[in-house]
Amino acid sequence: MDLAAPFAKTGVISAAMNLWLAIPIGFIFGYALFHAGFTDSRRIAWAFYFKDVGVPVVMFSAIVTGMLGLWGMSLAGLIDISLVYMLPTYLLPMAVGGVLFGVGMVIGGYCPGTAIAAVATGKIDGIVFVGGFLIGSLVFGDFFPVWGDFFNSDYMGAFRLDQWMGIGLGATVLVIVIVAVVGTISMIFVQDLVWGEKDTFTKSRPFMKLQGALVAIAIAVGIIFAFFPTESFIDDTVETPYYIVPKADMTGMAP
Amino acid sequence: MKFGTRWPPIPAGILIGISMLLAFVVAGRGIGASGAMTRLVAWVQHSLFPAATEQSAYFGKYFAGGAHPLNDYVVFILIGLLIGAFVAAWLSGELRVEILRGPNISSSNRLLLALFGGIISGFAARLARGCTSGQGLVGGAELSVGAWVFLMCVFVGGWMVAWFVRKQWI
Repeated sequence: MDLAAPFAKTGVISAAMNLWLAIPIGFIFGYALFHAGFTDSRRIAWAFYFKDVGVPVVMFSAIVTGMLGLWGMSLAGLIDISLVYMLPTYLLPMAVGGVLFGVGMVIGGYCPGTAIAAVATGKIDGIVFVGGFLIGSLVFGDFFPVWGDFFNSDYMGAFRLDQWMGIGLGATVLVIVIVAVVGTISMIFVQDLVWGEKDTFTKSRPFMKLQGALVAIAIAVGIIFAFFPTESFIDDTVETPYYIVPKADMTGMAP
Repeated sequence: MKFGTRWPPIPAGILIGISMLLAFVVAGRGIGASGAMTRLVAWVQHSLFPAATEQSAYFGKYFAGGAHPLNDYVVFILIGLLIGAFVAAWLSGELRVEILRGPNISSSNRLLLALFGGIISGFAARLARGCTSGQGLVGGAELSVGAWVFLMCVFVGGWMVAWFVRKQWI
């Protein structure tokens, strides 16, 4: 395959240029985090009380956008998916890490990306959270031999939802779109039920029309994807170094 | 239709998704925030205890072959993130030094909880090999089983303790 993207791995741009381009990409990320309202710890924490379900809705929208874009570009032959780094699954460490992470999030009011964005906008609680985050990372690294074996346990490779469910990748994409839409609608319903209708600005008519149109587009694209077999998105017989992370990967080597 | 300071959640989420897509197309990998912070502590510790840090089972890899831990993709993403959030807040007139908290908690208690929550999250993000963005959003888009399990567990963990810290927020 001779596809242009991803540019840094097909030699279109140099490694140095790739690093420089990360700054504008991060800029867009930070810019969007601010406008999502995520430099405010209260808005993030309120998600856990259904007082403001913006966090899960933004996350669903970001995932669906990235998912439709990534697999859509692969389907259209615009990106060589075998060169895209796929995150490996270590099931149990990720589950335990997730629970702890949620505990830290509702106590601290931030996650790392939003805390850094909060620091940039002058939030003192964000600065303190980042300080704590650095301490937590240091403790993990310095006492790594204590939990290193657990950290590397339950390895499943780059294991995808479609492989786990035993259905096609395109159909899985449609399922995720539907989960995101149903999840969003039901969480907004719970928010209105428990806390009453307060958010009149972002629920104004033009905004709802715009968001309705965007959701309709996502569902339509998902339905189109569902007609394509997995092989048209990804060749699972190709195991490039980028695709499957070997079991004895660098990140996990305990001495 | 004026967007103003606070955008509705779906357009805001789509813009985050677009930044992730750009990283896929340009770099062949995703965005992230916690990895750069781990590299930062590794770098600070290395300036104090170089030999011990280079031999560290976890941090040692950042120094393999004479590498500089901060010369990495995730660090440049984080620099961009800082500038992006700063510019967005500045253009909106929202740059303010303040402590955000609910109406029923003192500033010092809020900061104490922010520190405590930060420590737990910092540890948890390393154990899960990423945070909300690097593991949750990117892995979620890649349909990774681990990422979806992580995301669901984040909400389980949050709901488990939400009742106990409710005075901080509502």
